[in-house]
Amino acid sequence: MSSKTMNLVQSINSTLDYMMGKDDSIVLLGEDIGIDGGVFRVTEGLQKKYGAERVMDMPLVELGIVGMAIGMSVSGLRAVPEIQFQDFIFTAFDQLVNQAAKIRYRSGAQYNVPMVLRTPYGGGIRGGLYHSQSGEAYFAHTAGLTVVSPSNPYDAKGLLIKCLRMNDPVIFLEPKRLYRSQKVDVPDEEYEIPIGKASLVHEGDNFTFITYGSMVPTVMNTVSKNNLDADVIDLRTLLPYDGETILNSVRKTGKVIIVHEAPRTLGMGSEISAFISERAIDYLLGPILRVTGPDIPFPYRLEDYYMPNEMRILKAVNKLQQYR
Amino acid sequence: MDEKEKLIEAYRAMVLSRTLDKKIVMSQRQGRVGFYTPTMGQEATQIGVSMALKDEDLIFEYYRDVPLMLHRGVQPAAIIDQIMGNSSDSEKGRQMPSHYSAKEHNFMSVQSPVATNLPLAVGAAYSLKYRKKDGLVLTTFGDGSTSTPDFHAAMNLAADFDLPVVFLCENNKWAISFPVEKQTRAEIWKKAEGYGMRGVKVDGNDLLEMYKTAKEELERVRKDGKPVLIEAVSYRMGPHSTSDDPSKYRSDDVKEGSDKDPLVIAERKLKMLNYIDDGIIEGIKKDAKENIDRIFDEREKIPPPTPETMFQDIYEKSNWIIDEEKGEIL
Ligand SMILES: Cc1ncc(C[n+]2csc(CCOP(=O)(O)OP(=O)(O)O)c2C)c(N)n1
Ligand SMILES: [Mg+2]
Repeated sequence: MSSKTMNLVQSINSTLDYMMGKDDSIVLLGEDIGIDGGVFRVTEGLQKKYGAERVMDMPLVELGIVGMAIGMSVSGLRAVPEIQFQDFIFTAFDQLVNQAAKIRYRSGAQYNVPMVLRTPYGGGIRGGLYHSQSGEAYFAHTAGLTVVSPSNPYDAKGLLIKCLRMNDPVIFLEPKRLYRSQKVDVPDEEYEIPIGKASLVHEGDNFTFITYGSMVPTVMNTVSKNNLDADVIDLRTLLPYDGETILNSVRKTGKVIIVHEAPRTLGMGSEISAFISERAIDYLLGPILRVTGPDIPFPYRLEDYYMPNEMRILKAVNKLQQYR
Repeated sequence: MDEKEKLIEAYRAMVLSRTLDKKIVMSQRQGRVGFYTPTMGQEATQIGVSMALKDEDLIFEYYRDVPLMLHRGVQPAAIIDQIMGNSSDSEKGRQMPSHYSAKEHNFMSVQSPVATNLPLAVGAAYSLKYRKKDGLVLTTFGDGSTSTPDFHAAMNLAADFDLPVVFLCENNKWAISFPVEKQTRAEIWKKAEGYGMRGVKVDGNDLLEMYKTAKEELERVRKDGKPVLIEAVSYRMGPHSTSDDPSKYRSDDVKEGSDKDPLVIAERKLKMLNYIDDGIIEGIKKDAKENIDRIFDEREKIPPPTPETMFQDIYEKSNWIIDEEKGEIL
């Protein structure tokens, strides 16, 4: 089986290329995605290859980009809007929550929205308040949206192919900190990663780490550096999350640490922890702990203190060590 | 101050701004600065308007307005402190470079999402009117920002409520890689008419033209309390930001020192008026360079804010959630 070594940017770029080649209903639209190739170069070369009709450089209006994308997607196209930074999505929030998420339901399934909205999110690039936010909970709180976030180039390809074949709107969150941080082998042939299926990226008996996106490498490094006997679950899909994989692991280890970059209050960790309490409280040996970003805006100069790190994860591990 | 002194002062601010701009860009390449949005090319636009402002006026500016800030009296040290995000920064190092706040000169704090400052400017003008205060509100934004819903909402509201707002569109022809000809099929200044307000277009590369128009328009706003849209046409001479590579998407560069450079235009015109000569120009440039080099080196040594500062100012009073998280992290 042939493969290529690539980073996250290259994987998303080549997958978009592959899918556009197969499906002429796919149209990309966004700010600076054409001639410039996107501010993170994710759409590099695609306008040259597929033309400006299929890779549209858009005026500066997120509301219009998303609204148009939804309109295109209810009328035979498969729009792939890019929001340059997730932080700038909010003028389009109405379109996402009140249009994209509700069209199938309100029309009795006469209409549906096969749209994949791509956007970089999260910190780690010294972007300060407005180029660092992790807003996944806003979207995961909205029935009708599917929310995914790959943590590596391999998953990115399989997830993106799957999303580009779905018939409902997807928010595809790209952890920008990981865009160029790792290169892995990505098979040339196509494959799909199912929606709602987590990946068990490390196996062990004493702890269950539940994480996703930018925090997967942080957790994995902590686990291997400290020889932790732990399951590490990379959720990959945030809505609907993989309850079965979570429960299987929790029943085995009885000790749960949820790690995400987004603020703690009403983040993904809140939902997952409630879910575990409802279904597996008898298996728990100690409290479910969360290691997350604090409930403050994302700071510029002190960014390193914001991001969950090895030290904070180990603190949670030590706390749970007391329980047996 | 007479007109001559005023114009020389304005020219001095242009040079100071250009000098600071180049210093920061160079320092970014040397890894001493994280990020920056150069302002080169927009000096005449901003300073021409600043000359027509009064102390009591309120300003809801955007991230490319260093020339305006310097002319109005913000110290270069304050700009550098913000760029460094150091412990002397009035924003306590919280914002990415180019996002200033300077309340003592009535500059609102700058956000990244473009044009979201515009409706705020309308609200501030309402406050002035409600309190029967003198003064107007200036708000600035780029050509790209005219596509946003915020721009249209703000123009409509300002006209609807007869509010003293000056909408200054700094048309530098580009929104990152996207040219203004593609941004809109209409001329920007003409959009005002659709909202029942006045719109004008002016050569934003020419300090004297800019000043003349700004003076007339701001006087009118002060008198009749109604808004105006000023489209000032200039050119973004530098990259969008230090992360941007314009050679990917444009070749019609305006070179520094060419006859389209607003600094060169100002020099030519002020010389024609016999306000300055080569000796004065040289002196102003030398002063600026020495000052900026010295201040930059000095500010660079200032340490970062202490970690606990990142947990302050979320609310007037903190809450137990934040306090607890602070305890866990520090
Ligand atoms: C709402 C929003 N969308 C996208 C961005 C990313 N972005 C930053 S500046 C910019 C271009 C702005 O162009 P313009 O309004 O012409 O101002 P200029 O930078 O040219 O001064 C873009 C797209 C943003 N800051 N805010
Ligand atoms: Mg512009």
